[in-house]
Amino acid sequence: MKETIILGIETSCDETSVALVKKGKQILSNIIASQMDIHQQYGGIVPEIASRKHMEFILITCQEALQKAEVTLKDIDGVAVCYGPGLKGSLLVGLSFGKAVAFALDKPLIGINHIEGHIYANFLNNQKIQTPFISLIISGGHTSLILVKEIGQYQLIGKTRDDAAGEILDKVAKHLGLGYPGGPIIEELAKTGKGDAIHFPRPLLNSNDFDFSFSGLKTAVLYFLGEKKERNELININDLCASLQQAIIDTIKNKTLSCAIKYNISNIVLGGGVAANASLRRALREAARKVGISVYYPPKELCTDNAAMIACAGYYKFKRGITDSFDLEVFTE
Amino acid sequence: MKILGIDTATEILNLAIINNGKLVVDYKVQKEGKTHSAIILPTLKCILNLTGIELKNLDGIAVSIGPGSFTGLRIGLATAKGLAFSLSLPIVGINSLDCCALTRRVLPGILCPMIKARGEEYYFALYGNNKNSGNLDILRTYQCQKWLKIKEELLKFKETIYVFGPGVEDIIKNEKNSHSCGVDNIYFISEEKNYANALTIALMGEKKILENQSDDISNLIPFYINKSAAERP
Repeated sequence: MKETIILGIETSCDETSVALVKKGKQILSNIIASQMDIHQQYGGIVPEIASRKHMEFILITCQEALQKAEVTLKDIDGVAVCYGPGLKGSLLVGLSFGKAVAFALDKPLIGINHIEGHIYANFLNNQKIQTPFISLIISGGHTSLILVKEIGQYQLIGKTRDDAAGEILDKVAKHLGLGYPGGPIIEELAKTGKGDAIHFPRPLLNSNDFDFSFSGLKTAVLYFLGEKKERNELININDLCASLQQAIIDTIKNKTLSCAIKYNISNIVLGGGVAANASLRRALREAARKVGISVYYPPKELCTDNAAMIACAGYYKFKRGITDSFDLEVFTE
Repeated sequence: MKILGIDTATEILNLAIINNGKLVVDYKVQKEGKTHSAIILPTLKCILNLTGIELKNLDGIAVSIGPGSFTGLRIGLATAKGLAFSLSLPIVGINSLDCCALTRRVLPGILCPMIKARGEEYYFALYGNNKNSGNLDILRTYQCQKWLKIKEELLKFKETIYVFGPGVEDIIKNEKNSHSCGVDNIYFISEEKNYANALTIALMGEKKILENQSDDISNLIPFYINKSAAERP
C-alpha cells in the first residue's frame, strides 16, 4: 500500500512554512520562509506586515516544498493546516490557501491547533515516545502544560496568566536594544554570565496550581534596569541575561516536574521556540533524571514554528479519520 | 470558456461564473461574524452544484486584487491561488477601481470610482473615455485620500465628472446634498447597497485570458495602495 503523504501548512505568526511528511515521521521537505529580518527593525512582529509577507510567500514556499520532496500534488493524501491560535490575518492566508488546495484536489482538510503541532514535532525523525506524557509548550506566544493521556487526547493543566516566557525574553531584549527575537540573543549572552548574580522573582513558584505568570518578572527586570540607570551604575549584561534566564528555567523546571509527579507521569515532552534553549533542556533533563522522569525534545530546528510538525499532527488525525469541513474558521487564542 | 470570478474586496462575498462572456451564476453572501475564508468554498461548492459545472471544467480564475479590505483581498487571492495552482488554471488579478469604472463606462464624462479605505480616506482614480480606442484611459492614477483632497483634485477639471462606487454614499451624506457637491460639473451616483462585482471581474478576466495576458501566479499580490500603519510616517 502507498505510504501516506500529508501536505502541512503553517502561517500562524511570522514564518511561512510548507512541508511534506511521509507516514507522520519522515520529513520529505520542510521549507520555512522567515520574515525575521523584516520585523527586527520594529522590535517585534507587525501583524499587517506579517500577513502581507505570508501572501507573498505562500505559493512559492509550497512549490519549493513539492519540488524538494520530489512529490506532485496528486501524491498527496491530505492537507493539514494550522488554524490557530495565532495572528488572525496570518492564519487566514495559510488556511485559505490550504483549504483551496484540498478542495481542488478533492482531498481531506485537516485543521491543526498550533500547540498540538508543537507536541507532534517530537514524533518526527522516528523518535518514539510512550503515552501518557506531560507536554510543556514554551515559546514567544505560549507557556502551557498539557497532559496527553493518549494520542489526540489533551488536557490543559496550566498556562501563563499573562505573558509567555519567550515574550519576556523578547521584551527585555527590545528594552535593551539587543534585537529580535530575544531568546537566542539572551541565551548567547547568558553563556558568559552568572545565573545567581541578580536575584529576580520566580512568580507563582509555590502556588497550588500549574499556572505561570511572567509579567512580574519582566517588571522586576525593567525596574532593576531603571534603578541602575538612575544611579548611573553600569550593569553587567551577561549577568543580567543569565539571571533572567535562570529565573525562567527555575520556574519552568519546578512547575513541570511537580506537574508530572502529581499526575504520576514519567515522560515529559517539550516543544516551542524556547524549548530550543540548551540550558533549559539540560536543567530540566538533569532534574528529571533524579526523580526517574525522561525528558524528550525535538531537534532545535523543529522547536520553532514549522509545517512538518503540522503535517505530522495531521497524519495522526488522518489515520483516525478526523477531518474538517471547508467552513473551518481561524481562532486567535 | 468558463471563468470563475471572485470578489472579496468588501464585506460581501461574491462569486460568479461566466461561459463565453455570458452569465451562468452570480452569487452574493454575507454572514455576520464569519470571515470570507469560512464561506468562500462552501459557496463555491453550492454554485457548482447549482449549475452542474465541475471544477475541472473551469478555464480560468479572475480575482479582485484591490484596493479594498486588506484581509478580504488576501482571503480571495490565497483561495484563488490555491485553486488555480492545484487545477493548473490561468489566474488574472483585477484592479477593483478599474472594475468599478468599467461598470459606468457609458457615462459621458470623467469617471471617478471611489472605494472606502480606513478612517476618512477613500481609494480613487480618474478615468476618461478614449474615443479612438474605445477603452478607458487613466487620467489620475490610483491613490488614497480624504474627500476634501479628492474634491480639490476634481475642481481642477472643467469636464463633467461622475463620482460613484461603494464609497460614494458616505460622501453624499457628508456633503448633505444628494447629487452634487455644490459644483455644476460634479455628479454623485448612488451605488447599490451591497456592492461587489464578481461578474465584471470574470468578464475582465476572460478578456485577459483570451489575449494571453494572465498573471504570473507566483508574483501576484494584492494592490493595497497604502502601506501598513507601522510603515507609514
